[in-house]
Amino acid sequence: MVEPESGTGPRLRAAVIGTGGISKEHLRFLAGSPRADLVGVCDMSPIAVSHAATTYGTTAYATVDEMLAGARPEVVHVLTPPTTHVALSELCLAAGADVICEKPITLGAADLERLLAFADDAGRRICENHNYRFNPEVLELDSLVESGVLGRVGEVEVRMGLPVNDPDGRFGDPNLPSPIHQLPAGVIHDFITHLTYLVDNFTPGVEWLTVDSRWSNHGGVAHVAVDDLDSILVGDGPDGAVHARIRFSALLAPDCFEITVRGTEGYAQVELFSGRVSRVIPRPGGKQLSPIVNMMVGGATMFAGGPRSLKRKIMQQGPYVGLERFLALTYTALAAGTELPVTPADMLATSRLIDRLVAGRSVGAAPEVVS
Amino acid sequence: MRVLVTGSTGFVGAYTVAEALHAGHDVTALVRPASKAPFAALADHPRLTLARADLRDRRSLDGLFDEIDVVIHLAAAKSGDFATQFAGTVLSTENLLAAIDGSPVTRLVAVSTFSVYDYSHLKAGSVIDETTPIDLHPTRRDEYAQTKLLQEQLYRAEMERREVVILRPGMIYGRDNLWHALLGAELGPLFLRIGSRATLPMTYVENCVAAMVAAIDAPGVASETINIVDDDLPTQAEYVAALERQTEIPSSIPVPWPLMKLAATTISAVNNRFLDGRAKFPGIVVPEKLDGRFKPFRYNNDRARRLLGWAPQYTLAQAFSRSLSDTDLVVERAGSA
Repeated sequence: MVEPESGTGPRLRAAVIGTGGISKEHLRFLAGSPRADLVGVCDMSPIAVSHAATTYGTTAYATVDEMLAGARPEVVHVLTPPTTHVALSELCLAAGADVICEKPITLGAADLERLLAFADDAGRRICENHNYRFNPEVLELDSLVESGVLGRVGEVEVRMGLPVNDPDGRFGDPNLPSPIHQLPAGVIHDFITHLTYLVDNFTPGVEWLTVDSRWSNHGGVAHVAVDDLDSILVGDGPDGAVHARIRFSALLAPDCFEITVRGTEGYAQVELFSGRVSRVIPRPGGKQLSPIVNMMVGGATMFAGGPRSLKRKIMQQGPYVGLERFLALTYTALAAGTELPVTPADMLATSRLIDRLVAGRSVGAAPEVVS
Repeated sequence: MRVLVTGSTGFVGAYTVAEALHAGHDVTALVRPASKAPFAALADHPRLTLARADLRDRRSLDGLFDEIDVVIHLAAAKSGDFATQFAGTVLSTENLLAAIDGSPVTRLVAVSTFSVYDYSHLKAGSVIDETTPIDLHPTRRDEYAQTKLLQEQLYRAEMERREVVILRPGMIYGRDNLWHALLGAELGPLFLRIGSRATLPMTYVENCVAAMVAAIDAPGVASETINIVDDDLPTQAEYVAALERQTEIPSSIPVPWPLMKLAATTISAVNNRFLDGRAKFPGIVVPEKLDGRFKPFRYNNDRARRLLGWAPQYTLAQAFSRSLSDTDLVVERAGSA
């Protein structure tokens, strides 16, 4: 993987479509990056685009066409609702810009294959945001796996808990039901890309033989359609059988985003909202003393995690910290013409697995099992 | 007049609907689609109509203003992150203005807030009135102040198209809202009561809505900005003492304003010097946010009296008495016809 560079190098002309919640993270990166010149921002709302342009020191455009013609960006960030991603990305690619697109880049693998082909034909590149792969805790997990200390990875669990039914939240608000509920995985489609690429991240080369998904509406909120996912995957890896579980819950507390990687020698777990990292691995002292040492080290790690978590909160280093690294790597790769940090193969693998997770799910259906 | 009130089911909105009915207007109360039994006690009022729409959804507003003369725009988001408040306050207002374009609406009574003023660049003790500069660089203010400032930008642009009168009420208090943000702030389990000697820019809800309704048809108020505060404003200590005489109040720890200001200034300096200004602390130790709530100033309501012909009807003691009574003040004011 290419390391981000902070010094000299070509600066790419960058523009943004969409000024919703996630745009703040992209715009902040672009306004401060040595790799990018922010040349425009575009949104359907005049006040929203004016505010974003003023805040980040760039030019406001009312339409994508005007922005592509006026700002001539080399890279465009597509940050609009998922159903608009394909059309907007194609506009930008056809205009000669590379595209960084928020997740889910498309609503299915077939659409993604067509979009990638479109990019190829245009001689441009397109990349989906897989930001959590670049969080320090996930990179730490990567290192543990690569070091072999966990042994052969045999099981991965990715679990997210968020109160998407909250009537005061953007998904549960009964006054303005979010269009996200109409997507194949309902509101979980807003998160399923993260859950899936993180499984992919720790199970390279695994062929999933069975994918059993139970979709439920445990909260009973009518317009939310589904609020719970429990998927069990069993696959064949290069070194043997691998299991995975993808779990999303709207009702269980506290909010969490956990990844657990279990190997033949030990396991490690990270929690991305708080930054907690724990590991249970072979320790000096052999089988007899390892459990005790693991508990002592785990306690010390938890204790040290308190101040670290407080520092993260004060310094506003939230779970999006990986986005900045992802963008820095992507800009470096785009400028150098090297491999992107999220490759077309990564995107396709994730998209195809999402297709299997949602296969057969009908919107608003009662709890069901899909194999 | 045919008057539509946005935010009608909120604390101030319900009183506004009642006051407009009392004044003889035909009132349409805009309520959100999922509101349950709004204005049930006034269901039979012959001049009250309910309309269901969400201002964040532009399409839901189509045709809503076809038979409306004046809009009193109260709806705003007062909590949540910036994106939530931006949608609930700024985008909602943008949608509203787009929807009334081409409609018979001749006047917009736009309800803003005292939060828009640039408190940090004002000398403590100075008078805040409608000539006081607003905050042009509010990045360190709270989301509410930032979004209300953007909302005022939309109002000023709208002044080129129709009559707009901007009302800036101070802290509106009343039933279930007697203990409010100008009295202090929670810090963990503690409630810090900050700056007991500062005068509170407040207006009792029934007084405030009388000013809003007066703005419906007051002559010569187009493009005016008018502050709404009551007469004889109490200091924080006087307000708390008067409230304590009538009802139980939360326990709190008094903190002198200069001490709090010193703490906030010191923390801010450390943040800027050593942390590149990136650290985020509770609002009461952010100087700009602290100033916006607790810095001592003086206030007047001269322009409201002159332009609206308005005078606050209820004193502080009467306001407490009414707020703590069993009377349904909304129903009482609305009357039956």
